[in-house]
Amino acid sequence: MTRRGFRVLLVFVLCALLLKACLVKDVSIKSGENKKGTEKLEQKTYPSPENITLNGVDYLQSKAPVGKFGGEFISSIIGEGPKTFNPFNSKDNTSATLSGIMYDGLLSTDPISGKPVPKLAKSFKILPDGKTYIINLRKGIKWSDGMPITADDVVFTWKDIIFGGLGDTSLRDSLYIGDKLPSVRKIDNYTVEFVTPEPYAPFIRSLSQSIAPKHYFKNAVKKGGSAFDTFLSTNTNPDEIVTSGAFKLKEYVPAQRVVYVRNPNYYEINTKDEKLPYLDRLIYLIVGDLNNEVLKFEAKELDVINLQGAKVARYKSLEPHSDFKLYNLGPTTGTMYLSLNLNNRKDSKGKWYVNPVKQKWFQDLNFRKAVDYAIDRRNMVFNIANGIGEPLFTPESLNSIYLNKNLKSYEKDLSRSREYLEKSGFYLKDGKLYDKSGNRVEFDLYTNAGNTEREAIGVMVKQDLEDLGMKVNFKPIEFNSLVNKLVSTFDWDMVIMGLTGSPLEPNGGKNVWLSDGRLHLFNMRTPKEGKKGILPWEKELDNLFDKGALATKFEDRKKYYDRYQEIVYNQKPMIYIYSPVIIVAIRNKFKNIYPSSLNGLTHNLEEIYTDE
Amino acid sequence: MNETLKYILKRIVQTIPLLIMVSLISFFIIRLSPVDPLAELKLNPSVSPVTVEKERQRLGLDKPIIVQYGKWAWSFVRGDLGVTSTGERVSQKLKERIPNTLLLTTIVILLTWLVGVPLGIIAAVNWKTPFDRILTVLTSIGMAIPSFFFAVLLLMFAVKTGWFPIGGLTSPNFSQMSFCGKFTDISYHLVLPVFVLFTISLAGLQRQMRANMLDVLDSDYVKFARAKGLSEFKVVYKHALRNALNPMITLLGFEFAGLLSGAALTEYVFQYPGLGRLILEAVLKSDINLVMASLMMGAVMLVLGNLIADILLIITDPRIRVKS
Repeated sequence: MTRRGFRVLLVFVLCALLLKACLVKDVSIKSGENKKGTEKLEQKTYPSPENITLNGVDYLQSKAPVGKFGGEFISSIIGEGPKTFNPFNSKDNTSATLSGIMYDGLLSTDPISGKPVPKLAKSFKILPDGKTYIINLRKGIKWSDGMPITADDVVFTWKDIIFGGLGDTSLRDSLYIGDKLPSVRKIDNYTVEFVTPEPYAPFIRSLSQSIAPKHYFKNAVKKGGSAFDTFLSTNTNPDEIVTSGAFKLKEYVPAQRVVYVRNPNYYEINTKDEKLPYLDRLIYLIVGDLNNEVLKFEAKELDVINLQGAKVARYKSLEPHSDFKLYNLGPTTGTMYLSLNLNNRKDSKGKWYVNPVKQKWFQDLNFRKAVDYAIDRRNMVFNIANGIGEPLFTPESLNSIYLNKNLKSYEKDLSRSREYLEKSGFYLKDGKLYDKSGNRVEFDLYTNAGNTEREAIGVMVKQDLEDLGMKVNFKPIEFNSLVNKLVSTFDWDMVIMGLTGSPLEPNGGKNVWLSDGRLHLFNMRTPKEGKKGILPWEKELDNLFDKGALATKFEDRKKYYDRYQEIVYNQKPMIYIYSPVIIVAIRNKFKNIYPSSLNGLTHNLEEIYTDE
Repeated sequence: MNETLKYILKRIVQTIPLLIMVSLISFFIIRLSPVDPLAELKLNPSVSPVTVEKERQRLGLDKPIIVQYGKWAWSFVRGDLGVTSTGERVSQKLKERIPNTLLLTTIVILLTWLVGVPLGIIAAVNWKTPFDRILTVLTSIGMAIPSFFFAVLLLMFAVKTGWFPIGGLTSPNFSQMSFCGKFTDISYHLVLPVFVLFTISLAGLQRQMRANMLDVLDSDYVKFARAKGLSEFKVVYKHALRNALNPMITLLGFEFAGLLSGAALTEYVFQYPGLGRLILEAVLKSDINLVMASLMMGAVMLVLGNLIADILLIITDPRIRVKS
């Protein structure tokens, strides 16, 4: 019996040792190294490509160093892969990215300044009336099948596909001014004119939408509706696809990969007048989850990877003796926020959406400020994002070209919080907070379950607010139920959510900030209510967004959008927490890498080459 | 023979109410769960309410559940599996994945049966010898390790050593390979997932076979055969084995049912392009047509597997033949 007991013990000890051996490797990272990941982005000025005419063809000439032709670049996409290769019908990010590679737009965004720059177009001009856009196209450039790219393709794309309401209509929806859409007209074979009903600044950004080859899309557009939705589906034979981008589809293997090859007719050349792109093949592996992506990168099956929080420290320590380099692309366009429900209306049955006792707190600016000052953003960045993030105080993301830099950041300050609470008659008794009518301050805090980052924020917000004597019931609930609460039933107190915005165009956020917007979460009105019970500052926001969209000069627009950020900063309907920072690892063998916080690391795929 | 045919027909007719029940229950569970297939769309600032409404109508969500079920059932009966929530044909999606899953599971089943059954017999014949003991320990380990955990361990192993690819089925340059190259590439990718599934199902099968065999070896007719002076070989392989195999045939029926769905977890960890990943995503997104198609497929396979096992039993076991 004792011998058997001894054996069992031996097995246990062995197992324990084995586990210990496995553990040690991961724990050896010093916590001090966390900060290293936040070193600032290495600034290499990107030499923007310029126009050049050779033998009557208007090429775009890359000014980046001349590289070697050949090789392949393997990236990854998370999830189940593309649903379609039709750039006008892509409702998910993956499909949009993958189809966007094949179809260039008229304009694109300068990776550093964020200004619109010509891409498929040779040049563009906005007439002084602020409504007319003249686009000059490149002469002599071709689709991948050799047909010329002309004004007919542009007019066809905008008139028949986009304004025709085919596929995904969100672009068209965003361009309505009142009930009017911009008009598009062919002036000659290489000139197109767009006229918006009124000066409408966001329009210039939408010109980066892909242009479709008319001869290839014609039949599908003629059939319309559902026939268009199945056009360029993932079962399309890759050889028949006609494209304009640097790469064209070669192969799609479901749940495994998407392979692109060089488009021999691409219109960009290098300074030696050789046709780009340098890479022979561009491959996207379809990986199901983040963990598998990390494994694949470490096994060298992937050339590039986006890193999050905890993993950055590990990669930072691996970097010196590995074949990859880390790039810090700065804060993401995503914003994480805590919102309070300012709703003070009743539903159709005469029931309050929000308990009237709580309404008084949330409507009270002092209360909102107290909450704001109690939140320890720096601590959250450090503990939740592993130091890979920046505290956030404005609705515009930190890399936005419209960011209002005058709005100062501040630290957690409980004494200020208490001052604000006292001003509104809140008082503490036995460490518990009561309002002036003697009600205990207690409310629910929601977020979507399963999002570990938001859950962690929720726990810390709860602790921070309990420092003030509030009682917070933190309830992570299923995403769909949460959305239902936010947009239909309005029965919530506080919520932690995130939204992604555009660093280039604040007007994209109008659904959130307009008082009758569809995502005006903090004071949501039903379509029937319209603008009922609008607060003075909500009215000002409405005004600012209307003016901001109609103004055409950047400086004018900046003024309006600065003011909107100031209002949100002062009124605190949404309390911004932090922005995660994007860190990307890429193998050293790839050259011509010009990181951009706006466009990412590999925005210039056609210029990237491998020196192996 | 006529009797057998009648029996098969009867069994097939019996499955119809079963399938209806399965479909009803699963349809209502999916639809009554609070998962809103449009939630993502509703929270996207750039999508207009008109688009959300259009999408609701396209997915048929504006109609009562019972109508939705009726529509689904009617097209299912006509052999149309409908479209996924993103507008792709469900049958097309399944067709892409089924061969991959079948490739993996058939290899595993063949291997386990070719190895497991003989191992079970040998272990039973050499009962309580060190060989049997060692096998018992090994199979206990095999049964104790959860498949996903084992799969993750093997993936870590592959990363550290670089000996095996990290999941998937083919290499990026697969389409440029020669036939032999393609064959090796696929085999190379299959090693780890097959190994995981093989270890785990081998353990169960070997134990089952050993137990059956031990049972039979202990029975009176085996003792009688031995007493009659038959050679040990004849006793074991002619008299005992035949009887010990009967319960295994029932097991084979279940294996058949697992052909399409049995490897889902392992498939997911290894990022294997089979049905597992497809269906998991469909469930998470409440992609009703895809989920229903896979559930119905599972039910049909189970019924079919049992039917095949029963028929095989009729053929191999005269006692059942007499009863039916």
